[in-house]
Amino acid sequence: MDENIQREVSDAGVAILTFDRPGSTANIFDEGTLDELNEHLDFLETEKRLKGLIIRSAKSRIFVAGADLKIFTQEVSAERIAVAIERGQKTFDRIARLPYPTIAAIHGVALGGGFEIALACDYRIASSDSETKVGLPETNLGILPAWGGSTRLPKLIGLPNAVEAILSGRQYSAQQAIDRGMVDSVVHREQLTTAAGRRIQQSAGQKRSQRTHISNRPPLSQMIKKRAEKKAAARTHGHYPAPLKALEVAYASLSVSHQQSLENEKNGFIELALSETAQNLIGLFFLQERAKKLQIPQELGPAPAAPVQAVNRALVVGAGLMGAGIAQWLSSRGIHVILKDIGPAPLGTAMQTIAKLYREAVKRYLLSQVAARNAFDRILPIFEEVPLLQIELVIEAAVEKLDLKKQIFADLESRVTSKLVLASNTSALSIDAIAESLEHPERVVGIHFFNPVHRMQLVEIVRGTRTDAATLSAAIGFVRQIGKLPVLVKDSPGFLVNRILLPYMVEAVRLFAIGYRIESIDRAMLDFGMPMGPLRLTDEVGLDVAEHVAKELESRVKHLAPLNDTLGKMISKGWLGRKSGKGFYDYDSRGEGKTNSQLGHMHPAEPKTVPEGDLRDRLVLVMVNEAARTIEEKVVEAPEEVDFGMIMGTGWAPFRGGPLRFADHLGIATVVSRLNNLRDRVAPYFAPCQLLTEMVNRGGTFYPQRKPLPSTQTEPDP
Amino acid sequence: MFMKEPIYIVDGVRTPFAKAGTTLAGIEAVDLGKSVVRFLVARTGIDASKIEEVIVGCVGQPADSANIGRVIALRAGIPDSVPAITVHRNCASGFEAVTQAAEKMLAGRGDIFVLGGVESMSQIPLLYSHQAAKKFGAFARAKNLSQKFGVLSSFRPTDFQPRIGLQLGLSDPVCGCNMGQTAETLSREFGILREEQDAFAMRSHHKAVAAREKLKQEITPVYLPGAKNGLTFMDQDNGPRENQTMEALAKLKPAFEPENGTVTAGNSSQITDGAAALLLMTENALKRSGLNPLGRLEGYAYAGLDPSRMGLGPVYAIHRAEQRTGLGLKDAEIIEINEAFAAQVIACQKAAKSEVYCREHLKRDTPLGEIPDEILNVNGGGIALGHPVGVTGARLVLTALKELHRRKADRALVSLCVGGGQGGALWLNRN
Repeated sequence: MDENIQREVSDAGVAILTFDRPGSTANIFDEGTLDELNEHLDFLETEKRLKGLIIRSAKSRIFVAGADLKIFTQEVSAERIAVAIERGQKTFDRIARLPYPTIAAIHGVALGGGFEIALACDYRIASSDSETKVGLPETNLGILPAWGGSTRLPKLIGLPNAVEAILSGRQYSAQQAIDRGMVDSVVHREQLTTAAGRRIQQSAGQKRSQRTHISNRPPLSQMIKKRAEKKAAARTHGHYPAPLKALEVAYASLSVSHQQSLENEKNGFIELALSETAQNLIGLFFLQERAKKLQIPQELGPAPAAPVQAVNRALVVGAGLMGAGIAQWLSSRGIHVILKDIGPAPLGTAMQTIAKLYREAVKRYLLSQVAARNAFDRILPIFEEVPLLQIELVIEAAVEKLDLKKQIFADLESRVTSKLVLASNTSALSIDAIAESLEHPERVVGIHFFNPVHRMQLVEIVRGTRTDAATLSAAIGFVRQIGKLPVLVKDSPGFLVNRILLPYMVEAVRLFAIGYRIESIDRAMLDFGMPMGPLRLTDEVGLDVAEHVAKELESRVKHLAPLNDTLGKMISKGWLGRKSGKGFYDYDSRGEGKTNSQLGHMHPAEPKTVPEGDLRDRLVLVMVNEAARTIEEKVVEAPEEVDFGMIMGTGWAPFRGGPLRFADHLGIATVVSRLNNLRDRVAPYFAPCQLLTEMVNRGGTFYPQRKPLPSTQTEPDP
Repeated sequence: MFMKEPIYIVDGVRTPFAKAGTTLAGIEAVDLGKSVVRFLVARTGIDASKIEEVIVGCVGQPADSANIGRVIALRAGIPDSVPAITVHRNCASGFEAVTQAAEKMLAGRGDIFVLGGVESMSQIPLLYSHQAAKKFGAFARAKNLSQKFGVLSSFRPTDFQPRIGLQLGLSDPVCGCNMGQTAETLSREFGILREEQDAFAMRSHHKAVAAREKLKQEITPVYLPGAKNGLTFMDQDNGPRENQTMEALAKLKPAFEPENGTVTAGNSSQITDGAAALLLMTENALKRSGLNPLGRLEGYAYAGLDPSRMGLGPVYAIHRAEQRTGLGLKDAEIIEINEAFAAQVIACQKAAKSEVYCREHLKRDTPLGEIPDEILNVNGGGIALGHPVGVTGARLVLTALKELHRRKADRALVSLCVGGGQGGALWLNRN
């Protein structure tokens, strides 16, 4: 006991609780910590000489990161959840009821429960450090703030800001937090405790009196709620119940008693937490944590003893869209980048792309003007030959031509030390083929980013057959260093994500060619929960790129359906998608929603109108089938990696938990029978893969079954 | 050898030069400087932490980048442990950077220096008079509406008439004339006709146009990340005019003396944006680096003269350099004299070979010698390429050294005139 929280009392009678979880860089609220906190509260409530309380953290990057989510996933039941919620609510209420002023001195991340304990204090002082972030991210996990957050925040900062914070789950910097009233003052980190002490002195023993925000009274509050409801409905497509539930609870908190509101929080939380959606979203959170701890495979032996050195200087070869995106991202993470291409023209275009990304980052408050400029300065565009002795990692992102890549790697090998990791960002070519004629093929690895690089968190680390342990460790360490999430994949056609995604895009193009409208194809997948429809996605990727990757895949994976000539015809007209202004959609016209009106002759005039379900099955099950094959062929080790990769790499309907989780949910037998049906009615390439057929026979699933959930809302079958 | 130990100019690079108000107008001086310094460090592969100091010449230092040399060094990714200074000797600021580095090395204060020059003449600001500035200050301090109104009513229309920083910089506060007028003085005193000046200017353009490919060897492109006109980079000088004719030049009105003047915008140097950087090393440092140098500095001198005849500065500086090194005009295989004005360079040629002038002004028994057209500014000069004041000195060194290599010649003399009545001259040797 008495390990997680230290207590001291100053001469002035101010008690200080310092959260400092032993052996960890983070503080969290697990059961032990809550027990300790309650014991301290026994003292704080009875000790007569106290004048105030300061709550702070000893960690350099985290105040309190929130509740331990394991409480809500293991052996989950309504009763267990209720106990956990009530425990937190009661503890924080005890803080709120202390008879003297209480202050949260926040440095580092204070999210979820970590911010809710601060909300239970009278005042919040935040450090101006960039590590400091406050917010209530619960709705992003499919749940809602239920330790008093949904009740206290609207009263403190008014409904509009509270609704924004709770429904978006956004993390706010200290400055943004003070602008919204989420904290009362911002000081330098070193001055936090002094400033908190001064605040206690100034309040002369008085608790803070709350004023009622004008926007918290009807009719304003009703209008705000209506507007937020509309916005949330549009954003969630009805797939994510948490924001709407949270809104309901937060709105009700304005007119019901504190106790009743906490009860609402609890009930809302239980309802959400038991749903498939929340379980999948929390599961995704754990998958992200898992990816952060990725190790090299055991068969490669133990990881090299020496810790992976951080990369300070990198070379990016190829200044196309991906090269520019990678250079931008690395530079934003403090790495000096030489961006290499064959002449000033591609570099000039790349530098404009990068400058635009930085301008947007500044506009969205992700970076200050100065930070963005300094980061931009780290990129040196160059087409001349320069010495590479100071380079610590190379990422090749040149045009997807094997001969060219081999030539680039051979040239690099002759100019760098033999230990240097040479990575390729190829999305379609084989790492083994690229490394084949090198003297040191063991140092070649795939580090495959997704477009747009600054948004997509996933990076595929592609292990060639000869890639060695040191190279793989370095690649994993590097991906971690730059704040991306790695998935380790075998060197195989399309690796993981494209292997599953391309057949889906090819199928969408095929559906278009036989007469389905662009809108209905894309709409069906938006309704399913994809961030964008497959034809819009093809436009974004670029028709030429999509065609190239599809053909490359087709030539290497025998069972895949051949690509029809639609893309080829469009490309020959110069329609390459968004980048050229026209693809399946027309980007020249103002409203970007318009489809390309000149496409009419490429498919039958009569729109095809078969049941939506069929459309959806063809698109979704083609992915499920291919996802199962990646397990069958051991492209990755586990279904978690497939689902994680697809969600993080493509935005694959997160609430469904990924294609394999979805397959389990639908039932493997159903998946197989529908695929068989499509095979018979439509085309042989729908035939379910061996693994799926086998699983039906043995009644297997990809994941161990979750404990039956009492109030599971099952999706209506597609 | 005329110096205690050889000072090597290891490598150098410059941006393309752009007429002020054109392609590089939107790029800040710091960004121009940053791009060349960074490129130079990358191309030579030197360990930037081993640089002793960064020295940057700049005449019109931007108000937001005091000690612009330091700002450039830091933003070019040179470690913050490496100090930096900015030097100013007007048009010879680029020379000053070179010679200061050389002096430090000769004094045993370090053996690797990065230096250069930078100028965004497009971005030299407009200034308000002191009287107007006082009123602005009073307005800002005014506490209430009536006080504010009181200050507002004290403004006069002339208070809002800015003083053009560039014009002020190009005027001599001592003799009271602007640079163009000093050139007019020389054209009168040396009897240099308008046609002679125009012909000189035309040759400068023709030489620069013919040398485009050669000049590319000393240029690294400037990227234009913020440009909205579809341009993404600039990789050659935009000053040289492809088909400059005498007729076109003859049409221009005299710029400084409307009535009887001969100096026009066409036969004067252009107002220009650009930057250049050079890497200097002592012999020891050079050996350690394994790099092949462009050449070395053999000697140099600055000299002062009557500010209202500043255009003759090269004559004085070349003379003084000869006294120091024994090297005279006859030793030069190529000569660069910055073309501030055609009249001014022609006057230098005439003065140098005039026994009378040299005796009277330089106290010499024999004239300085010939400055032959054939080896003078063989790739064009400031009239065609432009004259970004803080950069030109470094540009002349770079251009001359590259030309020595192309010709497999040994010695170059580079010189320029300096506003305020000075001249600078450097002797360079390829070996």
